[in-house]
Amino acid sequence: MVAGVVRYLSRLAIATFLLLAAGSGCVQVKAYQRGHLAKRAMVNDQQPGESRFTGHERGSREGAEGGAGQPGGGCGCN
Amino acid sequence: MRLQLAAAAAIAGVLALAPAARADGSLTARGVYYKERSTRVMQPMLDAMFDAGSHGVVTGHFLVDAITSASASSGAADAKPFSERRYEGGLGYSHVLDALTLGGEAKLSTESDYRSVYLAGRGQLELNQKNTVVGLGGGLSLDQVSAASTQGPGMITLRCDADHLTEKDCGLTVYSGYGSLSQLLSPDAVLGISVDVSTLRGFQANPYREAIVGESFVPERHPTKRTREAFAASLRYYLAASRTTLIGAYRYYRDDWKVHAHTPELRVVQELGLAIDASLRYRYYTQDGAYFFRDRYPADDDAMTQFVTDDVKLSSFTSHIFEAKAGVLGERFGLDGRWAAARLEAIFEYAKQNNRFGNAVIAHVALTIPFTY
Repeated sequence: MVAGVVRYLSRLAIATFLLLAAGSGCVQVKAYQRGHLAKRAMVNDQQPGESRFTGHERGSREGAEGGAGQPGGGCGCN
Repeated sequence: MRLQLAAAAAIAGVLALAPAARADGSLTARGVYYKERSTRVMQPMLDAMFDAGSHGVVTGHFLVDAITSASASSGAADAKPFSERRYEGGLGYSHVLDALTLGGEAKLSTESDYRSVYLAGRGQLELNQKNTVVGLGGGLSLDQVSAASTQGPGMITLRCDADHLTEKDCGLTVYSGYGSLSQLLSPDAVLGISVDVSTLRGFQANPYREAIVGESFVPERHPTKRTREAFAASLRYYLAASRTTLIGAYRYYRDDWKVHAHTPELRVVQELGLAIDASLRYRYYTQDGAYFFRDRYPADDDAMTQFVTDDVKLSSFTSHIFEAKAGVLGERFGLDGRWAAARLEAIFEYAKQNNRFGNAVIAHVALTIPFTY
């Protein structure tokens, strides 16, 4: 299991490096240029209750799980 | 109805007790209705968020899942009417240390035949003048499964694994972790990627569901180990001329039960003035079946019946989800003070899927009230 965790962290580190490398080539966005980026829909317009229910409901209907950037707890919907 | 009244009373109580302004918080009351062919769920919930000092935020939630006219064996062909309630509560705290934010969460979920305790920690680091944000987190879930909702004269005993064949309850431990990264690409675009990994150890079948083996029904036997991975990416782009946000996302999922899934998704969010926004979402989902899934199992093949299942989620299928969502601020109704910033939200979702669950409708209504204390 430790080997598995190390393998995934390595992949994440590689992906991070590639994205950072790509990002560093972009124009750096200054604080005063972030008006549009602060819009509700550009940040995350899902409230916690909506995200939680959606994750739970899809976990009880679909074989796949995850991808929302947060791990989830047990749901009793085997 | 009593739950809704209790929720309304809790909100009113907190707002009435709020003294002079020192910090901010918000309370959200949400009601969700879910209906598919054999299952109906009503879920009232409360979410709260409070500033704690100048660098901390406390979050909490409580919800009730009221499941009626459903089957304990979730989607099984021989479903019988069933009714149950699940209660869940959670508390979280996050603390900002300059560019680093650290947080933790604890959650308890309980119902007659399932109990789950979940603990998690996470960290988030802002880099490159906040153009890049890296997140890392992990969780541990300790679950206990029984067949306490057995419909019949006696309670079913469970085959937890090859060494524990007739237990009253079985354990399931889930170790999970995620990494995420977001990168600003321009003043109008942000890219996000994430990797989720979880490893499950323990009982993973449904205690009530039975598979067809030869001419008989046999209780499900699932492997007791499963490792799941999800890789996701999203791109958000803001069109200033029309005040429209375009969101594209894609997730690839795989696990060692040989379930693979692809999930592309598109959203359009439109601002309508300063106080109203509306959005449309389309989500496509497709998955392969688990390597041991069969509609029927042969009675005389030990290798093929080592694991048997009747779980629709482990079959091959596709689904299409269409969603409409709208939010409006209180100022649109001429309200002032804290009520001007209150947000009323409604969501309607239709899921079309080609499996035994059938199509589903989901509706949310939520009210978020900001306050100071």
